[in-house]
Amino acid sequence: MPSNSIVVENLSKTYQVPEREAGFSAAVQSFFKRKYKDIKAVHQVGFNIAQGEVVGFLGPNGAGKTTTLKMLSGLLHPTGGNATVLGFTPWQLKPEYLRAMTLVMGQRNRLAWDIPAADSFLLNQAIYRIPDDEYKQTFKELDDLLELAPLMKKPVRNLSLGERMKCEIAAGLLHRPKVLFLDEPTIGLDITGQVRIREFLREYNKRTGATILLTSHYMADVTALCERIIIIHQGSLKYDGGINDLSRKIAPFKLIGVRLADADSHDLSGYGTEVQNEEDADKRYIQVRAEDVTRVTSRMLADLPIHDITIADPPIEDVIEQAFNQ
Amino acid sequence: MFLIFKRMWQVNWAEQWQYRANLFMYVLYWIVQPVIYIAVWTSIANAQGSVKGLSANDFVTYYMAMLIVDQVTSEIVVYNFAHKIQDGTLSGEIIRPIHPILTNALTNNIAFKALTTLVLLPVWVMLWLLYTPIFASTSWVNILLSIPTLIIGFFINFLLSSAIVCVAFWTQRVWALYRLYGIPVALFSGQFVPLQLMPKVIQDISVYLPFQLFKYFPTQLILGKLSGTQILQGYTMDIIWLFIAFVIFRWTWANGIKQFSAVGA
Repeated sequence: MPSNSIVVENLSKTYQVPEREAGFSAAVQSFFKRKYKDIKAVHQVGFNIAQGEVVGFLGPNGAGKTTTLKMLSGLLHPTGGNATVLGFTPWQLKPEYLRAMTLVMGQRNRLAWDIPAADSFLLNQAIYRIPDDEYKQTFKELDDLLELAPLMKKPVRNLSLGERMKCEIAAGLLHRPKVLFLDEPTIGLDITGQVRIREFLREYNKRTGATILLTSHYMADVTALCERIIIIHQGSLKYDGGINDLSRKIAPFKLIGVRLADADSHDLSGYGTEVQNEEDADKRYIQVRAEDVTRVTSRMLADLPIHDITIADPPIEDVIEQAFNQ
Repeated sequence: MFLIFKRMWQVNWAEQWQYRANLFMYVLYWIVQPVIYIAVWTSIANAQGSVKGLSANDFVTYYMAMLIVDQVTSEIVVYNFAHKIQDGTLSGEIIRPIHPILTNALTNNIAFKALTTLVLLPVWVMLWLLYTPIFASTSWVNILLSIPTLIIGFFINFLLSSAIVCVAFWTQRVWALYRLYGIPVALFSGQFVPLQLMPKVIQDISVYLPFQLFKYFPTQLILGKLSGTQILQGYTMDIIWLFIAFVIFRWTWANGIKQFSAVGA
């Protein structure tokens, strides 16, 4: 069992947010007496991540994902609880820690805005003390995967969102970090770009044994990369476990898809709940409880003129949404 | 570390060049002030013969030396750094294994100086041709002696201003506070009015404050107006205030960063 590279215990972050009604008199009042509201962005979250694991961090907007990533990378001080990453307390901002990790966020971050990315890369090389030959090799690997070369000479502000994202990711990986916090790493990229980043991350993880914690709105990122997912909702941990176990635990349903001889003329409501599924337009899908699958399928095969039948887990998006709603 | 500063210099220099037009106008605005002081004081001194013993030439040399001193010791940390706290762009810099203020903001300041010197020089030469000042008691020894005080003076000013900028961790905005900081600078630094023209009480207080250390003291040192004892006293205050400024800065930074909310990123 490899050691844990990320240990999180009861981690909490409460923001004090000034609030007031709209309008002039409320503005005047708030000048003299400010009202604050406590927002529990993250509430007693705990998990461990072993070295080399790739974990998907999921939750709806405002769930506390980014706040957690910011605390783990050292940007934010928590208001409660504790965390260690690679044995360091992140928010002490020890240079040895900062050299061993990276935080890539969907916003401009590591690159100077007004000058070509190449200059920022060279600066990062110096800051992270990357030897020349190692830098060249890493850059070449990144260039092969992300096709960076044509982007390097343009001022960063003249790059498109997707181009910038590629450069941001590359800039964040030049120093070959042991722990990667990725907040929406594929946001703004086209499908090819997304696939490339995924492949790259998988390859990077395999080759370096780096630990990766990533958030994404693209479920494909998560299903392609992560065997384990952590779900938080309204600041609290909702699920921590294998991505394959998720549907069993949260939504113990299977999806039966059938192609029928005359598709629309049969009533399927007697077998389970019929659901929409865009995967295959010729098929009709019903959702049944996992333990009923065998019974229902044999009944259907006996009763209906079936040309084709499939049994699958429901789409992960649906399961996760169900998890949020619990 | 040297390589970091070198690369950082390249980035900051290139960045400053991007906005050179804006920058040149800013510098011209900055330079106009002492030029006006020279015009006003010389006409008064010429009319009256002298002001409290200062001749027209004394005023010209004072402000011309001050232009150079100010160029070296002034800082722009509030202009180029405070907004990063407010809008959260500091995030990217905090998680780099180097200090954002003591490396990046510092280099940015120096790049700014290097670039603005290009504007200052012709103005200075123009003033020279216009007023033909006589730097009677300035010697090479004075100039050499002033170099360390200029460097220390810059760091005192830079660290104190950086400490003010760190207040933005609590308040988000620091412009008003920075303006307030301008009041003691105006009163006690000698930047706008030579300190010897100020009321005695202000002169006496100013000796113990940091503000004259990065304006009046090096200027008078260059002009050769200080005795050996005064120079020694100035150097001693330099060391003391450099230490104090560093402690204040360290404290505000270390505590401020705990308040940082990394918004928008």
